[in-house]
Amino acid sequence: MSLVNPTKSTKRIGLLLAVIVLVAFPLIFNNPTVTTIATYCVMYMAIATAWNSFSGFTGYVSLGHAIFFGTGAYTLSLISTGLNMSGGFPVFALVPVAGIAAGALAIPIGFVALRTKRHTFVVITIAAFFIFQLLAENLGFTKGSEGVTLAPGGFAASDYNNPFYYASAVILILTVFLVWHIKRSRFGLQLFAIRDEESRARSLGVKVDRVKLVSFVLSAIPVGMIGAIWAYFIGQIYPQFAFAASFDVTVALMCFFGGLGTLAGPVFGALVLEALQRYLVLSLTIQNLYLIIYGLLFLAVIVLLPEGVLPSIKKQISKRLLPTGADVSFNSPDSATSGIPQASAANKEPVKEGKAL
Amino acid sequence: MKSLFKRSKQRRIGFVIVPAAALLLAACGSGSSNASSSSATSTTASAKPIQIGASLSLTGDFAANGKSFQRGYAIWAEQVNKNGGLLGHKVSMKILDDASSPTQVATNYQDLITSDHVPLIVGPFSSLLTVPAATVAARYGYAMVEGAGGAPGVFTHGLKNVFDVSYPVKDGLLPVANWIKSMPAGKRPTTAAYVTSNNIFAQPQIAPAQAIMQAAGVKTVYNQVFQSETTDFTPLADAIAATHAQVAIISTTSVSKVIAFVKDFITQHYNPEILVGTNGVNQTAFTSAIGTCNANGIIQPNGWYAGYDNTLSHQFVKAYLAKYGGTTSQITASSAEAYGVGEVLADAVNATKSFNQAKILKYLHSGVTFQTLQGPVKFNSKGENVDGVVLGFQWQSKGTKYVQILPASDKQSVAPLFPKPAFCS
Amino acid sequence: MSAGTLEMAILDGILTGGVYALMAAGLTLIFGVLDMINIAQGIFVILGAYASYSLEHSFGIGLFEGLIITIPAMFLLGAFIEWAFIRRLGEYNRVSMSILVTYAVTIVIEGVLLLHFGSNYRSLTASYVTQSFHVFGNYLPKIYLYGFLLALASVLVLYFILYKTRLGVSVRAAMDNRFAAQLVGVEVKRVSTLTFAIGVAVTAVGGMVFGAVQPFTPNSSYDLISRLLTIVVLGGLGSVGGALVGALVMVVVEDIISVAWTPTWATLIYFAVLVIVLLLKPQGLFGQREVRAQ
Repeated sequence: MSLVNPTKSTKRIGLLLAVIVLVAFPLIFNNPTVTTIATYCVMYMAIATAWNSFSGFTGYVSLGHAIFFGTGAYTLSLISTGLNMSGGFPVFALVPVAGIAAGALAIPIGFVALRTKRHTFVVITIAAFFIFQLLAENLGFTKGSEGVTLAPGGFAASDYNNPFYYASAVILILTVFLVWHIKRSRFGLQLFAIRDEESRARSLGVKVDRVKLVSFVLSAIPVGMIGAIWAYFIGQIYPQFAFAASFDVTVALMCFFGGLGTLAGPVFGALVLEALQRYLVLSLTIQNLYLIIYGLLFLAVIVLLPEGVLPSIKKQISKRLLPTGADVSFNSPDSATSGIPQASAANKEPVKEGKAL
Repeated sequence: MKSLFKRSKQRRIGFVIVPAAALLLAACGSGSSNASSSSATSTTASAKPIQIGASLSLTGDFAANGKSFQRGYAIWAEQVNKNGGLLGHKVSMKILDDASSPTQVATNYQDLITSDHVPLIVGPFSSLLTVPAATVAARYGYAMVEGAGGAPGVFTHGLKNVFDVSYPVKDGLLPVANWIKSMPAGKRPTTAAYVTSNNIFAQPQIAPAQAIMQAAGVKTVYNQVFQSETTDFTPLADAIAATHAQVAIISTTSVSKVIAFVKDFITQHYNPEILVGTNGVNQTAFTSAIGTCNANGIIQPNGWYAGYDNTLSHQFVKAYLAKYGGTTSQITASSAEAYGVGEVLADAVNATKSFNQAKILKYLHSGVTFQTLQGPVKFNSKGENVDGVVLGFQWQSKGTKYVQILPASDKQSVAPLFPKPAFCS
Repeated sequence: MSAGTLEMAILDGILTGGVYALMAAGLTLIFGVLDMINIAQGIFVILGAYASYSLEHSFGIGLFEGLIITIPAMFLLGAFIEWAFIRRLGEYNRVSMSILVTYAVTIVIEGVLLLHFGSNYRSLTASYVTQSFHVFGNYLPKIYLYGFLLALASVLVLYFILYKTRLGVSVRAAMDNRFAAQLVGVEVKRVSTLTFAIGVAVTAVGGMVFGAVQPFTPNSSYDLISRLLTIVVLGGLGSVGGALVGALVMVVVEDIISVAWTPTWATLIYFAVLVIVLLLKPQGLFGQREVRAQ
């Protein structure tokens, strides 16, 4: 029982432990390869959490968040080279600027794209993505296909990764904190209501357009900040890598793997998949087999655990421990159940369908 | 009810982050445990085998070239071992796949240097990946000798550890331009069309050649940059055909683009007197797509080909055929570039009698000339190969022979087919 | 730029647009009936190209004759994938889930193709691939003309199926409203399987023509799918004729910009046009209705 319904204090301890692990990790495992992989893990955990707070909560799948990643990367790169900054910690001061730039850009993009229904929205975000990648490739001030090279960080080689790791960790904590608040708030309930049935949410008085736009913009900001840290970390950006076509699908898979629309799911999914991928690439020799394994793994998860790994595991545990009638609170895409009663019925549907078929 | 929900949500965070973090700990713990296993930087007589590290694009966009590089490195290692190894150490290649991604290439070199403790590294494929890779290497004081990072952008970043054994990319079209310039005025073409993809390898080749040709009175009648996302190349190719330019130069990084242009030239019955593609013309993918006979007379600049008359090159070709079979025409210049990288690095190690990176760097910067299968190599302060020779090649004998034609002064060059014969179909 | 060049560019655009319409026709049906985004359509096209390639190289079967084998083969593959995976998608979060499932299918097929064929470019070859007709002083490449005619033929066949058969009635009913169709006795499951299978079968033809006009690798599907998705949304989901018009608009716009201004900005202009059209007409050029709100 205590495993499923821990008391308030055990939860606090768990959370505290998680933060301690996050902070202490590079101090304990100081091999640079490990900290490099850990840094990318933390970056993707933050990105996935942010992406999920829009796409996972509203059901509007964005395949254009790479725009914000690239915008953040370019903002930091162009400003730091423009000011002739010579590396070191001051460059990190530009990370919030990159977040603001990404958020500001998200306003017009969201305003335009969110006027359409969700299928069309997907395609508009793809189109917007290409527009921005092409702009980065061809505008004068972005240095075109030559890319931008930043001054190296100048930190000692032995713990070079740590500043980037901790910068990403700060963004991760802030993002998780923000999304946690969103989820608990009225605003969060409105997002879930939109996901479950937009027209009903509208008729219930939710200011659908504004809510979606605010969520879109909020989700863009952390992605832009991580993009900025990434650019500084890697030291050289090219348009096709800063605005990468596979970015959003990768992130979507992470969110789905852990549990779309949940808080912990994207964190878990990004951690597992990013670490797994980097580990496999370093250890597997038949590279194309890796694609097949990866794809089959996902098909298996989709077929067997249609709500993602974490919610499914939790449901199993709760079923064992609470045999009757208690799985209401574990209903995978947790959410609108309390705020808007009508939506809860629709909410349970996928569970049934997934099993029936 | 409300408190139940609240609790379940809070629990979620702690419930998950802890096991997830533990999982990462476990994954990374296993990674670090094998980190200390191999350390072979000593040069003592014990002569343990050593690993030489590289990251190559075995999957993703650059996979075809990455695999050619892998073969070149493998043959080089084999040859070194046949001759007694490096300073008495047998060598083996440790190659990681970077999936054509700059993030992965940086991680890979980090891993090779800090976990595997490889005493030597060699470069990745593509100019796009060279800078992120060399940046990591520089952090640990490693020299990066490479064979596929010749774009001008690679040398403008103040990196002191990059050495490109191939010719600088911007020189690629100079032999063609100089050949045209050297023609007697009556015979010399008077119009030229240039088209290039927006890419750090393709685009820098155009301007230097164009300048020489314009000075020689060759008028530019078409000059455009296209995007790799372009869906339809026919209007571009048709527009070039409509100019009836006597020289057509197509600069791309992908064989698929040059195929698209040439296919359309064939259907348009447009036969320029000189037709040049900067990349892919030598590949079987090209000749099989447009038809062998149609390749007749098409020119490509390159640093090397299997018929290159150089003792080191003969050795390489022999070893390649022994290991991988096939015919000489299947050996790509990329494999040779990789082999050349190995040769230069081995010379530096042998000359300094050490695996000490500082000594190797100093030696590479000292202005000595290395002999490779691609000819002489000498680095300027930026790491460009100032002795790098660009050769011009042409399909002849109805597309069955790929021969060296430029520079005309070179004794190995045969007479070019000029003007290019008409397409067969 | 002469006036002739512009006319030629428009003609080129129409012919190449036909090739894209052929690839997009199946996608729009799947989009419309199954109410899902099928990311795998791109890799199906590439798979179709490799199927033609194998038949040609291993058995000497010509490109057009090979279609007799590849069309049914792709039909069966489509039916299998719908049965095994697509059918499991619920109404809930359908857009997100369909993207993920079909993306997973994509990387599995890509991995298999890479293992078997490697990553070098392949092309489909035949004498007519580099030949052209000489009409009014212009050379029209034969393969593009054949591709355009095949596109028209496919659109006509799909129209026939949709409007002249019982299946078509069911398909259109399902397109209007899956739920209501079920209520009036349409076997939505069977219709979905058939539609998906037909949509995939068309890629055998699309892949053959694509492979003949452009070299391909197992990697080629990603550039393709983003284009195909924009075409079907521009044309209107579920509208086969719309896919044809959408494809023509896409290529013609890019081709005109390429020759009249510069190829550098041609692609960007197309995407901008797409965004503007969808803002003014969210259901696409030929979409009959708002896409259901889910």
